[in-house]
Amino acid sequence: MAKFIAKRLGLCVLIFFFVTFIIYILEYSLPTSYVEKTAMELATRPGNTKSAQQWIDELNAQYGMDQGIIKGYGIWFINSAKGNFGDSWSQTMPVTDLFKKCIWYSFVMGAIGFVLEIFIAIPLGVVAARKQYSITDYTVTVVSLIGISMPTFFVATVFKLIFSVKLGWFELVGMQGRNYANLDAMGQFLDLANHLVLPILTLTVVGIGGLMRYTRTNMLEVLNADYVRTARAKGLPEKKVVSHHAFRNTLIPLVTILGGSLPGLFSGALITETLFGIRGIGFYSYHAMTVGDIPFTMFYLAFISILTLLGNLISDILYAVVDPRVRVN
Amino acid sequence: MAKNFNEVLKEREIKEKELNKAEEKEMSLDSTERVKVLSPGQLVFKRFVTNKLSIVGTVILVFMFLFSFVMPLFYPYSQTQIFYKYDNSVIDYAQVKERTDYTLFMLDENADVHYTVKNKLTASINTMKSTGEKTMTLRDNDGVSYRLEEDEDFIYSLYKEESELFASASGEVKYATYSIVGDKLEISAGMEEVSGFSEALKKAIADKAKDFTVSGVEFKVEQVKKTYNVYKESEGFQYFSKKMDAAFEESVLALDKGGRLEIGNDIYSVSVNGDAVEVYKVSGSSKIAILSTYVFDTFDASFKITKDFEKAALQGIAEGKEFAVGDVKYTIKVDGETGEKLVLDINNADAPCAAISTSVIRRYNGEDTLEIAFKEETRKVIAEMAESGKKTATFTWPIAQVDSNGEYSYDESGNLIKEDREITITDKNGSYVLNAQQVVYLIDTFAAPSSEHWIGTDSDGMDVLSRMMYGGRVSLMVAFVVVILETILGIIMGGVAGFFGGWVDNIIMRMVDIFYCIPSMPILIIMGAMFDALKMKPYIRLTWMMAILGILGWAGVARLVRGQILSLREQEFMVAAEAIGLKSKRRIFKHLIPNVMPQLIVTATSGLGSVIITESTLSFLGLGVKHPLASWGTMINSVSTAEAMKAYTYIWVPVGLLICLTVIAFNFVGDGLRDAFDPKMKR
Repeated sequence: MAKFIAKRLGLCVLIFFFVTFIIYILEYSLPTSYVEKTAMELATRPGNTKSAQQWIDELNAQYGMDQGIIKGYGIWFINSAKGNFGDSWSQTMPVTDLFKKCIWYSFVMGAIGFVLEIFIAIPLGVVAARKQYSITDYTVTVVSLIGISMPTFFVATVFKLIFSVKLGWFELVGMQGRNYANLDAMGQFLDLANHLVLPILTLTVVGIGGLMRYTRTNMLEVLNADYVRTARAKGLPEKKVVSHHAFRNTLIPLVTILGGSLPGLFSGALITETLFGIRGIGFYSYHAMTVGDIPFTMFYLAFISILTLLGNLISDILYAVVDPRVRVN
Repeated sequence: MAKNFNEVLKEREIKEKELNKAEEKEMSLDSTERVKVLSPGQLVFKRFVTNKLSIVGTVILVFMFLFSFVMPLFYPYSQTQIFYKYDNSVIDYAQVKERTDYTLFMLDENADVHYTVKNKLTASINTMKSTGEKTMTLRDNDGVSYRLEEDEDFIYSLYKEESELFASASGEVKYATYSIVGDKLEISAGMEEVSGFSEALKKAIADKAKDFTVSGVEFKVEQVKKTYNVYKESEGFQYFSKKMDAAFEESVLALDKGGRLEIGNDIYSVSVNGDAVEVYKVSGSSKIAILSTYVFDTFDASFKITKDFEKAALQGIAEGKEFAVGDVKYTIKVDGETGEKLVLDINNADAPCAAISTSVIRRYNGEDTLEIAFKEETRKVIAEMAESGKKTATFTWPIAQVDSNGEYSYDESGNLIKEDREITITDKNGSYVLNAQQVVYLIDTFAAPSSEHWIGTDSDGMDVLSRMMYGGRVSLMVAFVVVILETILGIIMGGVAGFFGGWVDNIIMRMVDIFYCIPSMPILIIMGAMFDALKMKPYIRLTWMMAILGILGWAGVARLVRGQILSLREQEFMVAAEAIGLKSKRRIFKHLIPNVMPQLIVTATSGLGSVIITESTLSFLGLGVKHPLASWGTMINSVSTAEAMKAYTYIWVPVGLLICLTVIAFNFVGDGLRDAFDPKMKR
């Protein structure tokens, strides 16, 4: 097992190296970037004596952009291995500080959404599988397909229209109400919670369909298995067949996939956070990407890659751990 | 001959056959005719069409294709057609200004009016008006004198006079300045020193006397701080040619503001400048110019008012008689009702050709394009306003419609299209502003659904339904191109990896791992921001976007194909294919790929849906398909502000539903296909 994990980790590092290299090349060869924009701004300031090109050269030197792709990437890789990701250009603070500032909003949103998804999707998927081809089954299938098929931005817009504009229960965007500063600690917490309701709802609705489908498919597979037929044949009550024999076996793929998606809770929701103005990592990274803030974008993309690799690794390990029939190698 | 047994049997058989002819032919139990045989393709099709959801999906997809690709052929509007509408808007239509500056019409082209005089003509006339004088003499810097004479209200004549200085007189003159500091006495230039003056002055200062006399001459003393100004009484009139009597001097001094004096046949002009009086004798004068504030408004736009016409007409008014310009004779008539002066064309049966007034009525841009009837009506209303003391008044008048370019609209026969509009006149301290509700031709933005535009128009005045159709084209096209691209790439990479195995497989699979790990949405956002910065053309941008989506998406297909090929490779038919010595190219494309196809088709169908979601999300963020190309995402983005979202639900909700429906349909069909291809998997 340890050998397997070590081998996988080694592979992960290799993949990570190439992924970040590709991203670095992409970022590096962007024709316009934050540097150029800043240079233009500096060049048009009153009292400025340098041309825009001079400013660009100077800023490139300052930001370490004049090192060439290979060398620049080497410097970046070594620095980030030491935990030094530089300063975010657009937010003018160290990337790691910005990360610490915003990651918990993303995580809380993701975690609550994740728990809601599990508690809604899995029971519904099980029910649908038990009553295959019933109205319940068709409803669950169609609803989960609709959930999969709706673009996040459309769900968000519909929720905004219904809950913010028509009903006025929540605010359209942002994280703080108008009199946030005047509230006591409890009030501030409730205000923040109120602002997080719609984004979490959006995340849940968008994510629920896939899990529901997955649960149903796996549950059906298990219900058609020989040991379930045996359990029924020996006269076990249906309740026990489902909860003891079928559901427990359905949990194997479920735990695998859910465990694999745990690191993803930190990755933030790019679209949802941007649309609702939640200052999470998705929000800042979207901003960084559109203005060409290379340090933060690089950090974010590297972070996402690590999370993806970690997710795959966890899911592989869990598969082996949960299902005793699976042998590593 | 006795029949042998065989023959007997044969005969019996024939008889039996004949007997059974009418009956149905009996099938044996294992006859293949008993079973209706379907080809594998037919089987898949049969299983597909018996699935309700896949039928629903297929119907939706067929509708979407018809909607996006066929309906635009019959739909009257294109995706970039902009619609216009007529609307009312209050505009500053015209303004009325009383003319106060007098225009100078030179009668004698050779005469020259000095600019100092030219500049003060209007001011002088205003002075004359306020004092009620009929004439006024002006003198330029060179001493040339001019005379203004009122001919009639608003018409003045300017004469140039030939004159010479006849007499002059001055009042008190400064004689000397004495300063206590330094005991300095300065006698003004040109003054003769009177003997004993200095002693007398000092004595007077010591006595604090206001005046003193030295040898018969009276002096006045005025103290300014530590200096004393000494003034001497005037010496009376000085004559340059002929001495006049005291009566003359008295009458000159009576004109304390200057003026004219006629004594017998002689005309004297007196100018007063402080205490100094100058008398000029006028020997002759000639009329060189005429001044007026009158404005001529023509009755017929083809009749042009020329400088000559104005000159002649003003003279005609002043003299109260007919006048001629060229061969045409005109007369002036005063309208009995309004008191307005009209110029009548005598040659043309006294038809009125111009109206005379002192106010200028122009369009707000300064053009004199208004018709005479409008001007007269305006003047009438303004006169009523002035009478009743009201600040605003309204009247109705037909005014012309204007199209999007600010041009007038004409009907079939080439006449201006006019509509009755209420015109409001507002008094703004003497000048008047005319506002009108004018029909203007605007871009029809955010029109509500109507019979012309079933789902209304968007923020650019384009038909929403039409853009929905073209947006569907873009979405479906992007989806198919991307999926085909990634499938081709995936088949090649996965096929090579699976078939050859070994280090090739290893390298390709590591590439797959890398591409799996690259976060595609951030990459697309970065690329979108880059395309924005490069200001790429919409079509080129679209192509790039499809290419990037395809390149980022092939890894999944490759993994699937490789897995399938690995398992198929071990099966007996592949062993057989290898055993009979088929080339590897034939084995891949004839035997392996067709067996992978079902799985591929299922993945590709579901992939179509997710590509549509990605594309519309990017477009929604403004980083995908760009204006003027229509896209479902862009259409929702254009109404995503809080107000627009509330007001224009009829735009974004149908568009959003189109996206959802299409993606759902692809998923339904994908599910249906999977179940049909592999009934074991049916759940």
